[in-house]
Amino acid sequence: MEISPGTLVTLVTIVTSGVMILFGTITPAIVEGRAVLKALEGMTRQPEVADRIRATLFISMALLESTAIYVLLICLVLIFANPLLDRFF
Amino acid sequence: MEGVFPRAMFTILGIPVRDTIVSTWIMMAIIVGAAAIIGRRWPMALEMLVDFLIDTISGVMGRPAGPYLPLLGTLAIFIAFANLLSILPTIPLPNGRMFPIVSPTRDINTPLSLALVVFFSVHYFGIRAKGIVGYFKAMASPIFMLPLEIVGQLSRTLSLTLRLFGNVLSTEMIVAVIFALVPLIVPLPLVAFSMLTGVLQAYIFTVLATVYIGAGLEASEQ
Repeated sequence: MEISPGTLVTLVTIVTSGVMILFGTITPAIVEGRAVLKALEGMTRQPEVADRIRATLFISMALLESTAIYVLLICLVLIFANPLLDRFF
Repeated sequence: MEGVFPRAMFTILGIPVRDTIVSTWIMMAIIVGAAAIIGRRWPMALEMLVDFLIDTISGVMGRPAGPYLPLLGTLAIFIAFANLLSILPTIPLPNGRMFPIVSPTRDINTPLSLALVVFFSVHYFGIRAKGIVGYFKAMASPIFMLPLEIVGQLSRTLSLTLRLFGNVLSTEMIVAVIFALVPLIVPLPLVAFSMLTGVLQAYIFTVLATVYIGAGLEASEQ
């Protein structure tokens, strides 16, 4: 069976997006869980500085979360606005 | 899946105006109206908001929040309202079409312009604190750190942009997908989640802008 280049690119795009979003969400989730664990330990040990820990936790969670967001954006670009597809269609 | 990317609604003098721009106008009217009404009826609420902003900014920056409150407070209120705006329903237009109210931050141009405002204000406050020669001398000390500093400045602007844009777009897409599957009741928790994420992103954007401005000031003080 002959596969046209456009079909091949679409196929590779879909499979790549799935694998990308898999690894791109596993890693930040593990790291964020570790950060929350440490922050909770610190809060229970020293409740008087819980507010400062919480503020720092929010900032660092946002910074960690943004890696997953980058992966998601690249997935969205690949699926909805693939630059390679214009060459074949 | 149309509606992921913003559409041009109409043109003014040949310039296409996207639906996010119209949503921004509606949002500006809502903010001004809400400020007028709340300022007359419950002034304590506005005072609590300003107190919260002052506490947050001075707590993160470690110095009085006075000169930075107008910029950072405006950023916080603008982004919070912009992220919350997508819960409003669509407006039927006279010619039979529907105008969907979307978050202004779903268009990547809005977060990019906000991040550029932060980028230039970091240098503005740094130069105002130390003078132009002292600021750039402090930035380039030691001299081989200068390329790293420039790359850091540009990449932090990019990451501010993409974080806000990606968060808002992803939560709205989750709501849209669930809405296409089950339109009744089931999307409500996800709408609540998107509201929570929107307010949290506004807080995070403001705190990061505060951190960057504080870092610029500290670099100019050493």
